[in-house]
Amino acid sequence: MSEESIDKKPLQKFRWISRFHAGWAVFKQSLLGKIGLTLLTFFALMALCSFIPPLVNPMYQPMAGVDPEISTVTGPSMRHWLGTDFMGRDLLSQLLAGARIAFMVGVSAAFMSVFLGTTVGMIAGYMGKFVDTFLMRLADIVMVMPALVVLLMLAALFGQLNIWFIVFFIALFRWPGVSRVIRAQTLSLKHRPFIEAARVAGASHLRIIFRHIMPNVLPLSFLYMTFQVTSAIIIEAALAFLGFGDPRTVSWGMMLQWVWKTGNMFKAPYWLLPPGICISLITLSFYMLGRAMDEVLDPRLRKEWETG
Amino acid sequence: MDHGEETILELDRIVKKYRTKAFLFGARGQEVIALNEISIKVTRGEIFGLVGESGSGKTTAGRLIVRLEQPGEGKIYLDDHDITSLKGKASKAYSRRVQMIFQDPYQSLNPQLSIFDTISEPLIIHKIGNTKAKEDAVWQTMKSIGLSPPHDFAHRYPHQLSGGQRQRVAIARAMVLNPEFVVADEPTSMLDASMSAQIFNILLEMRKKLNVSFLFITHSLAAARYLCDRIAVIYRGNVVEVGPGDEVIENPKHPYTQALIDALPKFRYSGDKKRYQTLIRAERRVPEHAGCPFFSRCKRADPIKCSREKPPLMRLGDSHSVACFYAEPGIKTSSGDNA
Amino acid sequence: MALLEVENLTIGYQSQKGFLKAVEGVSFSLDKGRSFGFVGESGCGKTTLGMALMRLLPPNGRIEGGRIFFDGKDLLEKTDEEMRKVRWQEIAMIFQAAMNALNPVHRVIDQITEAIHTHTPSHNKDEVYEQVRALFKFVGLPEDRMRDYPHQYSGGMKQRAIIAMALACRPKLIIADEPTTALDVIVQDQILEETKSLQREFGISIIYISHDISIVADICHDIGVMYAGQLVEYGAREEVFDNPVHHYTEALLSSYPTLTGEKSQLMPIPGEAPNLINPPFGCRFSDRCTEARVSCRSNPPVWLEITPKHKVFCHQCGKHCGE
Repeated sequence: MSEESIDKKPLQKFRWISRFHAGWAVFKQSLLGKIGLTLLTFFALMALCSFIPPLVNPMYQPMAGVDPEISTVTGPSMRHWLGTDFMGRDLLSQLLAGARIAFMVGVSAAFMSVFLGTTVGMIAGYMGKFVDTFLMRLADIVMVMPALVVLLMLAALFGQLNIWFIVFFIALFRWPGVSRVIRAQTLSLKHRPFIEAARVAGASHLRIIFRHIMPNVLPLSFLYMTFQVTSAIIIEAALAFLGFGDPRTVSWGMMLQWVWKTGNMFKAPYWLLPPGICISLITLSFYMLGRAMDEVLDPRLRKEWETG
Repeated sequence: MDHGEETILELDRIVKKYRTKAFLFGARGQEVIALNEISIKVTRGEIFGLVGESGSGKTTAGRLIVRLEQPGEGKIYLDDHDITSLKGKASKAYSRRVQMIFQDPYQSLNPQLSIFDTISEPLIIHKIGNTKAKEDAVWQTMKSIGLSPPHDFAHRYPHQLSGGQRQRVAIARAMVLNPEFVVADEPTSMLDASMSAQIFNILLEMRKKLNVSFLFITHSLAAARYLCDRIAVIYRGNVVEVGPGDEVIENPKHPYTQALIDALPKFRYSGDKKRYQTLIRAERRVPEHAGCPFFSRCKRADPIKCSREKPPLMRLGDSHSVACFYAEPGIKTSSGDNA
Repeated sequence: MALLEVENLTIGYQSQKGFLKAVEGVSFSLDKGRSFGFVGESGCGKTTLGMALMRLLPPNGRIEGGRIFFDGKDLLEKTDEEMRKVRWQEIAMIFQAAMNALNPVHRVIDQITEAIHTHTPSHNKDEVYEQVRALFKFVGLPEDRMRDYPHQYSGGMKQRAIIAMALACRPKLIIADEPTTALDVIVQDQILEETKSLQREFGISIIYISHDISIVADICHDIGVMYAGQLVEYGAREEVFDNPVHHYTEALLSSYPTLTGEKSQLMPIPGEAPNLINPPFGCRFSDRCTEARVSCRSNPPVWLEITPKHKVFCHQCGKHCGE
């Protein structure tokens, strides 16, 4: 009898692995997915490497680096591969640091908004009636508010905003979109026989939501996370560009702000272009990943490769 | 079969109505009477068949018994206790004693849970035993259902099993709590003949070994004949005939039951002649909810009496009841045999 | 000459796990005005066979071999354009759950009219209207419901509408794949009666595909029993059902509960159907057959004749042919 208990654990892990392999097989067939993943890996490497330049030489610090010899905007050179900004700080290390910020902001904000949206969506969809109406009207109100404008107002009121504050607020504005989708999914699951079977077995509402509905809804949540990352990155970049970002962090949006503010937009393409291109590419690659994941998670496709 | 005369479950004049949603262009929401004062008694250890076509209300009756829905009027008794409006803890305790097997094996298992998780779920909900005890219970149930060796199946997921296997998992889930009463809602209508036969035999064995009582809901008279001790025929929310299985099938008295038997394709080609011929070709127009529910199609019906009065279940012979004024042979209607 | 003559038809699907041989080496013939029923459990290939006869296989399906002679012409040699002319005008098909094939946003009469119009554009509006009226009358649909939308029809009515559509162009052959599965017993009976009278009146040939033996026995002249992609027994209905020879046919018959006669214990067939990606070389039923011998597993079965109209695909017909 105890052998069976031991059997249980390894086989369970095996399940996730086999599911991953199966998903990977589908994913591999998607050109978009492969391009997206490649780009993302590249950016991830960038983010990881962002720690290296300051270790090589303190003058490569993105914010505080001071090059004893240079204190103005210069073009690419052997010392500074992308050039320097208006204070003589190395542009490449700023770009790498920006990648780190992009991932941090993007993923955190996306995670928070998806977490909130999924929970609200499940509860609204499952409870129905008053709770559903209340939560969805709340979602409507939040969705209609122009996120950027409100953030700007807050920034104007409270001065420069801390980066985590920004992340939190992005999440706060973005959860309604997720909750609508999750609510729809919950509604379609609610009347499925296996949910009724759980009710007949005596499960409480809470148990049904978290044990039965959530696992079926999570794949969709993960999918939406990739889309949410893109919008989070863009909002942060926009805020930073407009001068309302966290002045203590170097993000690509911040870089763009500096280019613009110091009047170098047309004079220093090596400063202007890299952050702009990076923002576009990273959002594009997350989007491509999301599209490929869509194919992986599509239940119709799933049946083909999981049966028989 | 010695069941004893104890009634385990009783439906007492149950009424269930639905209001259909209004369409945008056209009719406003209509009231549909799914169950029109039905009464059923199931004896302990009996397999009771509820036979009807789609829309007859048979599934609704099953759902009311497991409390997925509430009746509008009437009462439900389990072992003489009124369980119609249980709440909270009592409701949960009820679910330990009464369970359900659903119709669609492809939808009644959570695709994200392993077989082991699915079967152990009721045990977890009711906090029965420690981990080891739960495991043992699951293994034992799986073995008795024929999912052997159990640990072969335990870690698989529903999509890796065939329809017949999935349905057996559904049965295991229903039985793991050792319930006293199980509603089986068309458990084989989505399965092939061979798998259906397996399921039937499993149900028979469960009854023999554990003395579980079943309400077997089906549209197939042949399946009901094979499995059930007693059969009730339900038509548009009304029980029209009840009696011992063999009796109802060999000696049906209600024109609807007779029409059902006429309509079944006979196994060996037995000629075109229908035995009972109780249906009229075109349906009569009839005022809503008045009179006998079968009036609109009944050849035997009296145009005045049957359109105004609803026949109650009348006892005919030994525990054989029919809801028809003209069930006994020799009683002529005022219109003779004209349709 | 037979209306439909199928020789050694083999059909497969390309799936991610390999090539699945859904149908292998099926041969049968169907005369004008007769009906042939294919019986078997899910996965036996009968639906694939039906679709292949119309050349309506999904993109990953392929007809690997064999011939389909319809009215003397080989359908497999026709181009797509020629097949389109054949479909509906000469061969019509009623799919499984066909009631869902009705377009919910068009009136029923419009859909049938369109079907007629597409295939016989020469008829003018009045002629077509008359045709539709006649069809409705024939399938038992009330005329005043012609202009309704599908959702206003009951299940039985929708099925009748589908049958009307299939009949619209007076085809010579109708392939019906489980047309009454979703219907109630009484409605099903009425539709089967109408099907029988259809045959008598128009002389249409019918191929009826079902997992329910009792229906097939009721309306088909000849029956073919399929298992794991192969035809294992065929013959006149009386012979196959009163005198089943193949052990699968026997097992299949004893797994159905009956309404009349002795109440014997239902015997489910042990085991599972074989994997059709790598089917066994010998008899495909041998590992579930109670009478299997060693030779059954190693050698493919042969066609044995019980009577000129009753043949079985097996090594041993035992008492039936005095071996």
